[in-house]
Amino acid sequence: MIKTKIFFLIFTLFFSNTFARDYIVVQSTTSTANTGLLDLLSEEFFLDTGIEVRAVAVGTGTAIANARKGDGDVLMVHSKVDELKFVQDGFGIERYDLMYNDFVIVGPNNDPAQIKNKKNILEVMIILSSPDYKFISRDDYSGTHKKELSLWQESGISIPTDSSYIKSGSGMASTINIANEMQSYVLTDRGTWIAFQNKNNLEILFENDKSLFNPYGIIVVSPKKFPYVEYEKSNIFVEWLLKGRGNNLINNYTIEGQKLFFTYN
Amino acid sequence: MLDTSKVFEAIIISLHVSFVSTLFAFSISIFFGYLIATKKFILKRYIVSILGSLTSIPPVCAGLIVYLIISRSGPLGWMELLYTPSAMIIAQFIIIFPIMVTLIINYIEREYPQLRDELISYGASQKDILFLLVTNQKGIYLTTLLIGFGRAVSEYGAAAIVGGSIDHVTRNMTAMIALETAKGNILIGVTLGAILISISLIISFGINYFKNDD
Repeated sequence: MIKTKIFFLIFTLFFSNTFARDYIVVQSTTSTANTGLLDLLSEEFFLDTGIEVRAVAVGTGTAIANARKGDGDVLMVHSKVDELKFVQDGFGIERYDLMYNDFVIVGPNNDPAQIKNKKNILEVMIILSSPDYKFISRDDYSGTHKKELSLWQESGISIPTDSSYIKSGSGMASTINIANEMQSYVLTDRGTWIAFQNKNNLEILFENDKSLFNPYGIIVVSPKKFPYVEYEKSNIFVEWLLKGRGNNLINNYTIEGQKLFFTYN
Repeated sequence: MLDTSKVFEAIIISLHVSFVSTLFAFSISIFFGYLIATKKFILKRYIVSILGSLTSIPPVCAGLIVYLIISRSGPLGWMELLYTPSAMIIAQFIIIFPIMVTLIINYIEREYPQLRDELISYGASQKDILFLLVTNQKGIYLTTLLIGFGRAVSEYGAAAIVGGSIDHVTRNMTAMIALETAKGNILIGVTLGAILISISLIISFGINYFKNDD
């Protein structure tokens, strides 16, 4: 008798959260999570609709890989080429432009590489590829890492292989932490940078180049591919973000008076 | 900056997940520990060695294995376990079971031979011997529980992969520490770490209290 009771108790404790599915899983990026935007949107969306948003924050590459396995209802990332490929391969119905900000180059304020007054980002990348200056790469197939790779390619130089090119393999904010310790340059999205709390003597050294545009897309995972996707609830979430109150929330989200993300309307 | 309701939530999630995984692992460890320690069978030595080596399984690796199994495209995908506390329980179970079972096998292998000869001459059954092995030396089992729980509650890699660090659902203490540290809030990270250690300290005191009760 006691044995059955104990078994039942453990069983309920184990399964307590898995029976009903009144939530959607959003595969998203560390930049939206580290800034606190994702938590805010989840809470407000729940208040408006009663649908819970469970947001998983990983790099864009991991998020897309997870969504391709069917582990998510909505994909919210920033690597347009990969997003379009995701849709093309039949994993998503359609990609919508959700919001944008831009990338910046952050580094120690004494700016040893003197990139502050350079005119375009390609010039900056060529300077930073020199073994004299440390540069930290995310190296995790995140949206930011993909952007960095495309910048190397555009500037026509191969990715540095010497020891001044450091691969962190961590999330965006963790990588800025490392840049801080090593006093090196790093490419980051502006949102994460504004929200980052441990800036010390790092500062933005290069910004406002057209190539540094950083668009975020949103895609509902195709129910044709994975029948258990919460398609309707996910669409309500996407609508809410594109046209509803979510759009205003993104637009009005500030940290220390600075806007982090911009929507298109 | 530090939202107390969120910290409280994270503590509850940490305790819930780690208690259940420890209880699971403990009951199964006693069962298998007793079987392996008292029975003679082929490959016994190899099984014990393999269990011993699994005590050093990297949590991230355990997390990945569980992820592949419970992912939507994995064999148990239909159970919808990914990104739930249940997934974290399974992952922690895999990490702490080898540790607990190895400790228990060690203890029973040492105690059982003398105890058996003595007790069988009194007419005791196998069941009685098992019962005595468990009740006689409570301390060893309590220590095993403590070690298992400590490893489960302090673990981050596996719980993060299969739990996803989802706010209100699977963001336990270690996930919250990692997130706050990543945001650059290093002091908050350290504070949360101190809270986690304090909780473990209370549990450790409680267990030691029972131990000295003998």
